[in-house]
Amino acid sequence: MATASAQGRAAKATRPRTFREARAMASSNAELGWGVFMRISGLLLVPLAFGHLWANNMAFNAGEIDFAYVAGRLSQPTVKIYDTFLLLFAMLHGVNGLRYSIEDYVKRPGRRFAWKMVLFTVAGIIFVAGVMTLWAFSFEEMGDAVRALGTQ
Amino acid sequence: MYRGREGQWAFVLHRLSGVALALFLLLHVVDISLVMLGPDGPFDVFLVFYHNWPFRVGLLMVIAGVVYHGLNGLRIIIMDFTSWGVRYQKQLWYGVLGLTVAIGIPVLWKIVPEIVAAI
Repeated sequence: MATASAQGRAAKATRPRTFREARAMASSNAELGWGVFMRISGLLLVPLAFGHLWANNMAFNAGEIDFAYVAGRLSQPTVKIYDTFLLLFAMLHGVNGLRYSIEDYVKRPGRRFAWKMVLFTVAGIIFVAGVMTLWAFSFEEMGDAVRALGTQ
Repeated sequence: MYRGREGQWAFVLHRLSGVALALFLLLHVVDISLVMLGPDGPFDVFLVFYHNWPFRVGLLMVIAGVVYHGLNGLRIIIMDFTSWGVRYQKQLWYGVLGLTVAIGIPVLWKIVPEIVAAI
C-alpha cells in the first residue's frame, strides 16, 4: 500500500483530513460552518429538488400549469411543509453559493460589500414573499372557484 | 483559467450551474408568490412567459443543471469524507456526467414532445 499512502500524503497538502485540519484551513469558524452547511443542505436538497422536479415536470405537463394547479398544490399541507423545507434549504444554499461567487470575483472590498448587501436584501425580501405564499394565504377557495369556472 | 483537467471542468460546471440555479430560484419564488394576488392577478402574465417554447427549453436546462449540480455535489461530499473519493475523483466525475445524460434522456423523451405539441 505504499502508493496509496504516497497519494494520501499528496492529497494532504490540498485537502484537510480531520475536522481540526479543516478548521485550521478555513478563514474563520463561521466560514467552516458554512462549508459544513453546504454539504448537509446539499445532501437534503438532492431528494427535495429531484422530487419537486419529478412532481411538476415528469408526473405533470409543466406547459399546462395554471393558477388552479398552483392553488391546488399550495392548499395541501404536505406540499406546504415539503416546499417550506425546499425553500429554506435552497435559499440558504443558493444565496451562500452566490456569496462565494461575489467573494471570488468582486475584487474591490467596497464593491464586494455592496454586492453582498444587495444580494442579502433582495434574497431576504423574496424569501419572506415565499414563506407568505406558503403559509399566509388560503388557496382552497381560490382554487375551487377557478376549477368551478373551468367546468362550467 | 489554466490548463484545466477533469477536476477543474467539474468545478467550472458546478459554479456555472450553481449561479444559474440560484438566480432561477429567486425568479421562481417571485413568480409563485404572484399567486398570492389571486386568479385575476399578474400570475397569468408570468405563465404566458413560462409557457413560451424558448423559456421551456430554458427550463430543460434548469433540470439538467439541477441533476448535474446535485450529482456533482454528492461527488464533492464523497471527496470530503473518504480518501478513495479523492483518488477516484476523475472517474467519479465521468460517472456524474454519465448519470446526468442517463437521467436526461427519459426527461427529454417525455418533455420535448410536449413543447413541440404546444408551439
